[in-house]
Order: sequence, then structure tokens, then C-alpha cells
Amino acid sequence: MSYKTTPVNQFPKLVSQWIKKYDVTAPAEAKNGLEYKTIGDPAEMMLNNRVNTTYAPKAFFLPQSEKLFTVEHGRFQAPELKTKPRLLLGVRPCDTRAFWLLDTVFLAKGEEDAYWQRRRADSLVISFGCDTPCASCFCTSVGGEPFGREGSDIQMTQLEDVYVFEAFTEKGSALINKLPEADAATVKKVKALQKTSAAEMPKAFDNTNLRDHLYALFEDDFWKEVAETCLGCGVCTYLCPTCYCFDIVDEVQRGERVRNWDTCMFRVYSQEASGHNPRPNKAARTRQRVMHKYAYWIDSINEFGCTGCGRCVVNCPVNIDIREIVSAAQARSAKMEAAK
Amino acid sequence: MNLYQPMPMRVERVINETSDLTLKSFELTFENKTDQKAFFEKYNPGQFCQFSVFGKGEAPFGIASAAWEGPFVRFTVQNVGSLTQTIHNLQPGDLVGVRGPLGNGFPLDKLKGRNLVIIGGGCAFSTLYALTKHIMYKEHRKDYGQLTIVYGARNSGLCLYKADIESWYDRSDMVIHQAIDVPEEGWDHHVGYVPDVVKKVAPAPKNTSAIVCGPPIMTKFTLPILSELGFPPKEIYTSLEKRMKCGVGKCGRCNIGSKYVCKDGPVFTLAELNDLPQDI
Repeated sequence: MSYKTTPVNQFPKLVSQWIKKYDVTAPAEAKNGLEYKTIGDPAEMMLNNRVNTTYAPKAFFLPQSEKLFTVEHGRFQAPELKTKPRLLLGVRPCDTRAFWLLDTVFLAKGEEDAYWQRRRADSLVISFGCDTPCASCFCTSVGGEPFGREGSDIQMTQLEDVYVFEAFTEKGSALINKLPEADAATVKKVKALQKTSAAEMPKAFDNTNLRDHLYALFEDDFWKEVAETCLGCGVCTYLCPTCYCFDIVDEVQRGERVRNWDTCMFRVYSQEASGHNPRPNKAARTRQRVMHKYAYWIDSINEFGCTGCGRCVVNCPVNIDIREIVSAAQARSAKMEAAK
Repeated sequence: MNLYQPMPMRVERVINETSDLTLKSFELTFENKTDQKAFFEKYNPGQFCQFSVFGKGEAPFGIASAAWEGPFVRFTVQNVGSLTQTIHNLQPGDLVGVRGPLGNGFPLDKLKGRNLVIIGGGCAFSTLYALTKHIMYKEHRKDYGQLTIVYGARNSGLCLYKADIESWYDRSDMVIHQAIDVPEEGWDHHVGYVPDVVKKVAPAPKNTSAIVCGPPIMTKFTLPILSELGFPPKEIYTSLEKRMKCGVGKCGRCNIGSKYVCKDGPVFTLAELNDLPQDI
């Protein structure tokens, strides 16, 4: 694929053109820090941040609360989804990788989720490669890269005063094909930057045989120890770009069936009508969260279900750090192995 | 196609199954012929549906009828919560929503040519009833070998499908063993727990598959007995229950390790379960 460029100071003009055709959604200032917002003016967007947005952009494809049906006289009518296409701009590669992972769930062949599918099809994703990762990031420990391409249509890279664009999909190419071609020297610089950024990213943990180590600890008291201080608030899962569990409930007064984000960190999540709960305590629920990401995803598609964005690390009210859990699990399992 | 879209169905018949009135069967018919056709093209005993009453929600229930009994679809529902209470209040003619059939169901092709011992307890007998009805159908019966049924309930009043099961004693092509937990006047079948009855009456494991479905405690004690009797883990089938929302492997909550009970199950062999983490 070819590389296109635009000078940084010309970029707002380009975005203004996009705003006419798309709901351009980019990181912008909000009361909770940075949030993705649909912008009316390129001046609102804040691309060069040392931190990622508070909320993951998954909400644009899987809204926190979404109407599935309008119900009248017992008949379920799916709503028309709005059709103005969305251009997600400046999404970090950890978050686009999450789209790519979630596509395997919601776009599984023959079992497509119509709501996710429609929103994905009606959108374009421009990722913004990370040349200066923040302290809580660990994408390279879980199979990602600061310039990872998965889940994006176009990737932009900043080289001092120009943005360089590379399209990975047809609809991505179509958006930028009129921009000037990057010269060989620029392309060389982009490639060098991508390489050094990946190399400079510190590893948070060694992921070798992580799945097996976690399975070895399944029945261990390890989970009780790591879950000791957990409040069960669920913030780690709500902010996680790859957590997708949902609940389906009826809103009687509105005459709607809706789906809402749910979390495996809540007791009622798996509580059955008989009273039986397969995950009756915090230890079992924490184990589910960690093992889903680092073991069950591996079983399903041989990828980690964590993209290393660090939101759960930054936002946990009691400072539970999933990187530490993983490292401790590796160490504990190795010790058990050695003792055998 | 919308995975979450319920089909409109009409309550045709409501049957009070048990003396304590906690279990009722509902026979539903399709409002749309296209739904009916799509349903029966896919349906296989052991599958389940998501049953909706708008305003109260949606929950999974095993299908308790064989396709040939149709065009209705039967569900046997225990009144334990707010949705099931609402279902229990349904009257013939009421409109409800149903999604399905969902899940894998019993592997009919693999069971062909084999002897079967079907072991059930309590209201979990519903999908086993569908399987038995399927096998007993005159055009299907020849596809399977000897058929042994073991069905236990706490007392005679809690036995499901009474009249029909009573008639099975007269059939020469099957053996039925019913059991209740404690003796009762007039009860001339087994008294005792299902695992003990299985130990006494189970057929030889050679060329035989066992299908077990019951409350967790019954399943827990029956599986080792079958293993003791010589049934290999891959010839012991059981059907699991979990809390579910979507029923199609998306909403996340019914997983055991990397498997979803709704999509990869609800029917698993003991061999498959032995490979999964004990998160049941």
C-alpha cells in the first residue's frame, strides 16, 4: 500500500472536509479527562496526548445501553439504525486491536450481530500510531504493537510537521487517495519510527506459556489472594476495550428491550434462578476476568483478549494491577512446577 | 437476520404437570409459517429456546417435545422467579416471544445403532422426554437399539408427563424405571435415589450410550456410577444449565473455560467436561 501525507498545519482543513460527510469522532476534552466526541470543529480534537481516553471507543459499536427492539402488543420490532457514517479519528492501536478482537465475536460467520455489524460497516477507523507510549501501556506484552494495524482502515503517523497515512482497506484508500504521495525518504522515516517505538516499549511481563500457567493455578488459593482487596465495582471491565459482556433487559415504560454492558465482576452476573452461582465469590470472578483474557481467548483464537491499554490499571480504585497479577501467576505456577 | 429477534408464538395449551403446581407445560404454536418451517428444519432434541414475556424478560428453557408431535413446541417451566411466575399465568391465546432452537442438542447421528440408557431427574427430564419421544416415533425406533429409561422425582406428585409415561410400561420396545425418594402408598416402582437405581438396572455398557440430565446433585453422583459400570467418558452425555442472556455465544455469561454452554452445548460428553475447568 502506498503512503500519503499532509502537513500537520493543513490537517484541520482536511478534517473539516471529512466532517461534512462523516460524524468525525476524535479524542477531545471532557469532564472525565479525554473522551471520544463527535466534533463539529477540528479545533476540538486533541490527538497528541500522553494518555489514552478514559473510555474505550468500543461504545461506538457496542453502546453502553442500546435499544434492541421496540415492543408493541408483544411484537418485537428492531429499530432502524442511523445511517450517517462515522469516522473514528486518532484511535490508539490498542483500541483498534480490540475492534479486531471483538469482530471475531460479533462478526462470527453465520452468527453476525446485526447491530455491531451495521455500526462497523458504517464506520471508518483512522488509528494514530504511538511513538511515546504512556506508563500504563503494555501492548507488546500481549501481542500488540504501538503501530499495530489490526482493526483500522488507515493508520496515521506523525513525523514532526507532517502526518503520514497508510491505508489497509479499500474504504480507507478511498478516503485518502487524493492526498499527495509520500516520498521515499519519508516512508523510510515512518518505518524506522515504527520499529524503534516497538523496541522501546518496555515489557510488562513475559507471556510465554501464560495460558498453561493460569490453568495450573485454577484451583489454587492464588485467586483468593489477588481478589482480597477487589471491591467488585466492575470499572476494570467497563473501561476495558475488549470486555463485551452484556445483559438484555426490558424497559417496560419505554416499551423497549435493551442491552446494557454487564460485568463478570458482579455476583448476579452468573447467579441462576435456582440460587446456584457458579462464581459465588470475588476470587472466582477475578479468576474469570483474568483467565478469559489470557487463557480462554487463547483457546478460542490463539490471541490474548487484552490489548495492553492499561485502563484497568489506571482506574482501579484499589490499585489492582492486572500486570502484577499476571507476573505473580507466572511466578507462582513456576514455583509449583519446580516443587513437583 | 437478527439473532435477538423473538418469533411471535401463541399459547395453545397449558398443562398442570405436578401436584404442587410448580411445574406447567406450555404448548406454543407459531404465528408465522416461515418461522415454523425454519424452526423444524433446525430442531433436534436437546436444544433449547429463549422464552420471552415482554416486560419480564427472557430465559432459556429446554424443548420438551419431539418434532413429529408438532406443529406445537412444548416447554416445561418451573415457577421459581418473576419471569417464570408470569409464564405460569399465561392462558391459551396469549402471545409470547421465542428464539430458537438454540444450542447443539443430542447427537442423534452418533447415537444411531446404539443402545441407550436415558437417565433423568426432576424437571430436567424435559429435554430427555423430547429425546425419548423422538426415538419412540415409529419411523425412528428402528435406528436405535435397546432403550432404557430411568426417571426419578422426589415424590409421585412431582413426576412429569404422567399419563404418557404410564403408557410406556406397556411397550415392548423399551424398559422404563421410575423412582421416588421415599415410599408412598400405591407406588409399585422403585424407591430410592437415581444413582442407586442406575446401579441396579443399567444395561451393559457394550455398544451403549448414557444420557444423563438432572439436578446437579443427581448428575454428580450418577456420572461416577456410570464410569464404574464401564461406560467410557465419551459415551456419557449430559446437558448443562447456566444463566444465559443472548443464547448465541455473545453475551459472555454462560462460559465454562473457553466453551459457551449456549453455543457449544448444552449437551457435552463427560470426556469434554473433564477437559474443561471446574467452573460449573
